[in-house]
Amino acid sequence: MTETVIATRSLSKSFAARGRTVEAVRDISFEVERGERLAYIGPNGAGKSTSIKILTGILHPTSGDASVLGLVPWRDRRRLTMRIGTLFGQRSQLWFELTPRQSFRMLAAVYRMDADIAARRVAELGELLDATELFDVPARTHSLGQRMRCELAACLLHGPEIVFLDEPTIGLDLLAKQRFRELLVHLNESAGITIFLTSHDVADIEHVARRAIVINHGAVIHDADVASMRRTLLSRKLIEVTFADEVPAPMLSGVDVIAHTGTTLELAVDTAVRSVRDVLDDVLGERRVIDITVLDPPLEAVIAEIYQS
Amino acid sequence: MSVRLVLTAMATAARRNTSDRSGVLVNAVFYVVVASVLSALWRAAAEANGGEIAGYTMVAITWYALAAEAATVSLNMRTIELICDDIASGAVESELLRPAPVLGVRISMAVGAALPRLALCVAVAAVLGPIVGGAPPSTAGVALAMPALVLAVTCNLVAQHAVASMAFWARDVRAIWFLYQKIVFVLGGMILPLQVLPDDLERAAMVLPFMTMAYVPSRLASGHVEPELLLLQLAWLAVLLVAAHAAFGAGERRLQVVGG
Amino acid sequence: MSPVLATMRTAFAEAWSNRAAFWTQVTAIVLNDVVWIVFWILFFRRVGPMRGWDRNSVLVLLAVLATGCGFTFGILANARRIGWFAADGDLDAALALPVSPLAHLLVRRVDSVHLGDIGFGVVLFLAVGDPTPARLAVFLFGVAVSIAVMTGFLVLTGSMAFFTGRTTMADMGFNAMMILSSYPVDIFVGASKVLLYSVVPAAFIAAVPARLIGDPGLGDAVALVVAAVVFSGAGWAAFTLGLRRYTSGAAWTRA
Repeated sequence: MTETVIATRSLSKSFAARGRTVEAVRDISFEVERGERLAYIGPNGAGKSTSIKILTGILHPTSGDASVLGLVPWRDRRRLTMRIGTLFGQRSQLWFELTPRQSFRMLAAVYRMDADIAARRVAELGELLDATELFDVPARTHSLGQRMRCELAACLLHGPEIVFLDEPTIGLDLLAKQRFRELLVHLNESAGITIFLTSHDVADIEHVARRAIVINHGAVIHDADVASMRRTLLSRKLIEVTFADEVPAPMLSGVDVIAHTGTTLELAVDTAVRSVRDVLDDVLGERRVIDITVLDPPLEAVIAEIYQS
Repeated sequence: MSVRLVLTAMATAARRNTSDRSGVLVNAVFYVVVASVLSALWRAAAEANGGEIAGYTMVAITWYALAAEAATVSLNMRTIELICDDIASGAVESELLRPAPVLGVRISMAVGAALPRLALCVAVAAVLGPIVGGAPPSTAGVALAMPALVLAVTCNLVAQHAVASMAFWARDVRAIWFLYQKIVFVLGGMILPLQVLPDDLERAAMVLPFMTMAYVPSRLASGHVEPELLLLQLAWLAVLLVAAHAAFGAGERRLQVVGG
Repeated sequence: MSPVLATMRTAFAEAWSNRAAFWTQVTAIVLNDVVWIVFWILFFRRVGPMRGWDRNSVLVLLAVLATGCGFTFGILANARRIGWFAADGDLDAALALPVSPLAHLLVRRVDSVHLGDIGFGVVLFLAVGDPTPARLAVFLFGVAVSIAVMTGFLVLTGSMAFFTGRTTMADMGFNAMMILSSYPVDIFVGASKVLLYSVVPAAFIAAVPARLIGDPGLGDAVALVVAAVVFSGAGWAAFTLGLRRYTSGAAWTRA
């Protein structure tokens, strides 16, 4: 039986900025069940960070309601923070000059954990995150990827029921991002931790989330499971090809010609209609190719797609 | 806020400070320099006045200077600036995500960071004092000066947190640390014994909290055994804690309503 | 316009762009300086003349110090950051330009908070320094020496970071210099006084220039020139040697 752990109803937040009112979050309503993996995505300035600040109790909404684990975040912030974990990509929980283990000791006191239980938990997290050898060197010596694993340990130390992550993969290299995403999925599947992840990285939706809420200009514009989103929206691929000789524009179903300048073609392919492989077979043929790129559509294009659909 | 959290925060910060060996050295050298300068100045002043100035003999004034500088060198006088930067950058906001009072943890850590430095200054003074000025005028005074130094540092840090709360409302208040420092220098008795001030100013200084931050331990260390000064420090500490709690709390609420 | 002047102009423009912060900081530093005046007035009111110094001569010392510090920390604001640049390996941007790295670094940044010191120092001298043309000329000479000695000393101690990877010497040098130069040098006796004319040249930063204004003498004038040449030269030499180490890749950098 599922349990609603996050619920918002007509949540709004406005700020006064230089004489005018900015609506950072407008009339947002959604529910999240225990054990869900949710990506809360949108471009910069969409209202993601403001939403997460309201849900974690740092910010009061202007109007509307929210409850997280049955508590009103901005009224019961202290009680709520005992049961949630937070990881903000741009902020650190660790003390820079100390080893992570020393920071964990401090956090154990903050979360009123028994010292022995905390020590056992640190050992478990070290194994789970493959970070044990990082715990005893000063945090300032870590690479960003290593730091994020230690940050994740800090966030999980007290056994939270929900983990809020705000742009956690920002600045990480490809391998580190992949590893981090795998860890989040593992935590969710093994420990049942609800994952609430904000990001403007499409790959975070694809590899972590089962459900995505798209937010733009402060409002929810799409809320669906990722599988159907992928089918209907992320089924577009962009192909850019540069040929040695001039080529005609192809006339294929499921393929839109975005640009054609004699020797270069930019095509948008609806992979639900025709696969990229088929398109390449048709377009390339026996022609001499100088360069070829296959891209996912940019997030802005995905969101534009959501607006139009 | 639990005792365990206070002690853990203090220990964490103390460890962080002592792990920076070169920082410890810089602090020790800095203390030797400032304490030597201030005691040289006031000894010269006492000498020019027949061996005594404002009721302090040359020996007494040397120990006054040693204690005054220990009370100020052991803490970062730019704490106000650092807190303002943390408020402006959103670091304080992130601290709201922990189930612990932000102000309580910060003050505990600031005091924890200061105590090893204070201990080092006291150790240096124990060696330097007898060489430069002779044995302390009163062992009882020096004994009382020890807890007074801890209270002085604590009062100073709590007051700095209260002042820095202005950053929740106004940008660019970092420079206020200059002014705060100078007020402590003069009205706190750091660079001159309060008895040097004109009568009106001396009376005013005696009723302001700044005198807890350097004058009290210095007065005791210079041989004036006035234990009631410790009670005064405790009373002011309570007042400053209430003020800091109110100011910081109001600032946090503003952060929650208006945003960072 | 020379690259150095162009950089300086840009640094000023940057500092001036946030007017509110600029004036807040300038006001704060002026108030800060006023407190020092109050201190010395209170001191001499109680103590009277002492070892050849009285209230007026110490205020002239303060005027020289404020003007010199204002220029050094306000306009040559990176003089006290050389250590950090060296320790953090942050010189690459300066080295990528067709300019003298040291000159460029020194003028690259303006700290508006200290510009108030310059105005304060000049006004203070005009108020208490009996500014005849001759005394004014000596004042300006003294300030120029003060700037040269301070900058040279800061660059010298900061450049140690090229060799040690830490800013310890720079921090100690700066703190010692600031404290020791704020007081009349004659309150010290014996070995400590010798230190102030050598290892930490605090005497040449304000006390000797102030003494020269009050009691012009060839000895003090020559000593000031020698100090300015020695410390600027030492600073330049240390930086050049350190830079050679840095560009060879052998310099320490923080992980």
